[in-house]
Amino acid sequence: MEWMDKSRIRNFCIIAHIDHGKSTLADRLMQFTGAVEDRDLTEQHLDTMELERERGITIKAQAVRLSYTARDGRGYELNLIDTPGHVDFTYEVSRSLAACEGALLLIDATQGIQAQTMANIYLAMEHDLSIIPVINKIDLPGAEPERVAGEIEQSFGFAPQDIQYISAKTGKGVLDLLETVVELVEPPRGDPSAPLRALIFDSRYDPYKGVVAYLRVVDGEMKGTERAMLMSAGVTADVLEAGFFSPAPEKSAGLATGQVGYLATGLKNVRDCRVGDTLTSSRLPATAPLAGYRPLKPMVFSGLYPADGKAYPELRDALDKLQLNDPALVFEPESSTALGFGFRCGFLGLLHMDIVQERLEREYDLSLIATAPGVNYRVTLTDQSVVEVDNPSRMPPAQTIAEVREPWVELSIIAPSRFIGPVMDLVTGRRGEYRKMEYLPTRSSMSAGANGPADAPANDARVHLEYLAPLSEILVDFHDQLKARTQGYASMDYSLVDDRPADLVKLEVLVNQEPVDALSIITHRGDAQSQGRKLARKLRELIPRQMFEVPIQAAIGNKVIARETVRALRKNVLAKCYGGDVTRKRKLLEQQAEGKKRLKKIGRVDVPQEAFLAVLKIDRE
Amino acid sequence: MPCRLPNAASGIGLYLHVPFCLSKCPYCDFNTYEGLTPLIPAYMAALEREIRLWAELLHGPPVSSIYYGGGTPSYVPPHSIASSLQTVTNLFEVSRDAELTLEANPGDVAPEQIDSWMKAGINRLSIGVQSFDDALLKTLGRRHTSQEAARAALCAASRGLENLSLDLMFGLPLQTLGQWQNSLNTAIDLEPQHLSIYGLQLEPGTPMEADVRLGRTPDVDNDLAADMYTLAEDTLGQAGFEHYEISNWARRGKESQHNLAYWTLQPYLGVGSGAHSFLHGRRFANVKSPRAYARCLESDAAIHNNRAHPVDAMRALGTVGEAETMDRQTAIAETMMMGMRLSRGVSNADFNHRFGVDMSDVFYEELRDLSDAGLIIHDHAGARLTPRGRLLGNEVFARLVEASSKAAQFRPGQAA
Repeated sequence: MEWMDKSRIRNFCIIAHIDHGKSTLADRLMQFTGAVEDRDLTEQHLDTMELERERGITIKAQAVRLSYTARDGRGYELNLIDTPGHVDFTYEVSRSLAACEGALLLIDATQGIQAQTMANIYLAMEHDLSIIPVINKIDLPGAEPERVAGEIEQSFGFAPQDIQYISAKTGKGVLDLLETVVELVEPPRGDPSAPLRALIFDSRYDPYKGVVAYLRVVDGEMKGTERAMLMSAGVTADVLEAGFFSPAPEKSAGLATGQVGYLATGLKNVRDCRVGDTLTSSRLPATAPLAGYRPLKPMVFSGLYPADGKAYPELRDALDKLQLNDPALVFEPESSTALGFGFRCGFLGLLHMDIVQERLEREYDLSLIATAPGVNYRVTLTDQSVVEVDNPSRMPPAQTIAEVREPWVELSIIAPSRFIGPVMDLVTGRRGEYRKMEYLPTRSSMSAGANGPADAPANDARVHLEYLAPLSEILVDFHDQLKARTQGYASMDYSLVDDRPADLVKLEVLVNQEPVDALSIITHRGDAQSQGRKLARKLRELIPRQMFEVPIQAAIGNKVIARETVRALRKNVLAKCYGGDVTRKRKLLEQQAEGKKRLKKIGRVDVPQEAFLAVLKIDRE
Repeated sequence: MPCRLPNAASGIGLYLHVPFCLSKCPYCDFNTYEGLTPLIPAYMAALEREIRLWAELLHGPPVSSIYYGGGTPSYVPPHSIASSLQTVTNLFEVSRDAELTLEANPGDVAPEQIDSWMKAGINRLSIGVQSFDDALLKTLGRRHTSQEAARAALCAASRGLENLSLDLMFGLPLQTLGQWQNSLNTAIDLEPQHLSIYGLQLEPGTPMEADVRLGRTPDVDNDLAADMYTLAEDTLGQAGFEHYEISNWARRGKESQHNLAYWTLQPYLGVGSGAHSFLHGRRFANVKSPRAYARCLESDAAIHNNRAHPVDAMRALGTVGEAETMDRQTAIAETMMMGMRLSRGVSNADFNHRFGVDMSDVFYEELRDLSDAGLIIHDHAGARLTPRGRLLGNEVFARLVEASSKAAQFRPGQAA
């Protein structure tokens, strides 16, 4: 086997906030290294999912091998590992970073540092990567490369000459950037003679080749003929094919120390080949796996029901198929008296939840009703046993509970300083605790003030705010509120820190005396009263008048805390129906009957689907 | 007791559409036009030609009622009404006691007009009063005043008309219960034999619907409209009117024969642009545009009556657009949605006679549920709306129309 000298290998990734141009830069790098012909260059080559392209985000990581002849005349093998940019996929990002020695920190010259940039760069620093700061979009009219450079220098301590200026769109500066990668990113370390250890940083299911693992060989070498073993899963697998992407898949005899590529395993379940696991040879296994593996744990839960109850089998099949490529998605059947049969689904975060819902609707043509998202509560009962509750309807009776703990997150927000007030109000209104605030320095404040950060900041100065907050409080309508209150300027990020005891109550909703499981929520005792009132009021608006009066009640335990009434419908009749109208009027009546069939039944009450979204629609503030 | 019907099978109803108005009212979504006045002579001529063609195709069948609707039939010259009516009586077998109605606007009702209409054979006028409140009349875009409306009604009676109907509307933007009571009282004082009382229906595409949707005109409170309806029922009941259909009240024996034919699914022929017909088990409609309609009936228009169904001959001519054959399920659905509008409802005997199965078999579950909900009474005689059911008629009709799809399971001579 002919291996590339590992001193000529550079493994790197691009970390960036959404829309800062990561995919465009990846395209340009491929083009400049000849990986793709100019004419084959579709927009954003790496984002293969329709949804990724539309949302401008990367959901799944990929890796591309680029051959680059540097100015020193030598050929190099550059492996570009694409990372999912979003906070929900932090763990996957961290595995991608672990497969690299360097990272391009890509920042939009018109926008500057965003909350996600912060999160990702700290992650990159933790992994000891060589970080190359790159300011992108310098060709745009609104670009302020100077200001952004100032932010980068001050926030992360880079020297001015470290910063690269490019336009991924026009290609300006990209060749220099490739040189810098060769110069600054370290070649892979690792012991070629040690037993094989390869880090899996992504995997996906292919109907012909089984589970395909994306991996980085850390120690030893991987031969395309040897049986492999997944150390954490304890599973062995045939190796059907090894290779790399350039960007089309190319078979190879194997992968050497430091190389990045793929392995088709023939495994049927991505769960056996999880991101973060270590792949070794089953003939000569390594003694210890690589550090850092942890199973993914869902943080956000929601009930998904088919709008048409008959579509339950389709929903189950669709979830099964999605799960093949998304081991982070968990689900189990649940049923609701109002919504029928559905699934309790667990997601990594809000974006993950959105993506799954959207893919189910788009790719599987399902119409869904999603119940309000919630978190996982750790409930200690009076007999000291502990249960995990991710569904409000499963919350044990109040008198049996000794303590409830809820997950808290560290919340990081970057916004122009003029919005500090509104952001503060929003976060503290959600039980957030203020941690710290830092101005992101600008060049002007640097030159003007040696007096420290307390200097009066310029009007357009931006601040980085940090809070601790209960995860449950930022699930619903938080991001939208943040955007609304900052005219769209704020960016946010969060990460789980711990769980804390919480004074929570289960707020139940009764429609016409019937408790509606799909509408019950767990909420902080202090908010329960007002939440209950708003929820009842919203439901009164959303539930159409019936032929009888319908009371709507919000209750905690046996105590009703709010009541609204949907008055009985008194008049619904066609005034005129003569010879000229018969067919048209009959069709109108057929439509009325058809419309009624689409309603869900709570006891005798016909309720439109939107009513189940009432929790999402109440105005918290 | 259910009131007895005339033997409607003795003839068809004949509807003549007059699509002209001096001005179109903002709530109106009928096939009617303002500014088409120059077309009136050609249109009325076409109308007569269509009558002749139909008479030929159908071999001049008996006619039990005639109805000039619109539009504003009183807007066209009385001689053209007389001329078309003469054509009908010449070519069809119009029964002696047939009801001949003409819709009129109060402003058009003057002694000479009434005399000419009556001389032509019209024996019933339906006057579009709508309200006896001048401010509300203005909201409705009506050109007449309440005083003119009253004068028109009195004038009709003084010229010897013995069958007068007044149209009133309730549930209007800004209308109060007091104003409504006042309109009802004024109407009763004018001693009409018949009253049609319509709740305002905001139809999509009308200026008034847009005004309400955009907040330029206040919306109507559904509960207040219900109160107004109940007030009309009480007031007219005390004044001795019989409430024989959801929106219609009459002195005994003065129920509209023409409209009863619609509600009992009797055959009718509609002539004129956009007019609908129900003949030989088929529903069909003429082209909507008065101009296109008149063009189809240029003076040399001829037909070739060698087709299976007379409608096909007219389709070949172009006056009739789509025609659909009514299947049994649709017939059952329409029997229920039309028949239940009548206070006497749908009788078990009629239903069985018509379809060969029992209504209480086909609609077992629906009739039970609707009775339980207090919307209908279902007994040995048949099914009919309760007072509450009249206000919630669509709940009843929609349920029955939907359930008519089960009709296929119930065939004559088969056990359910």
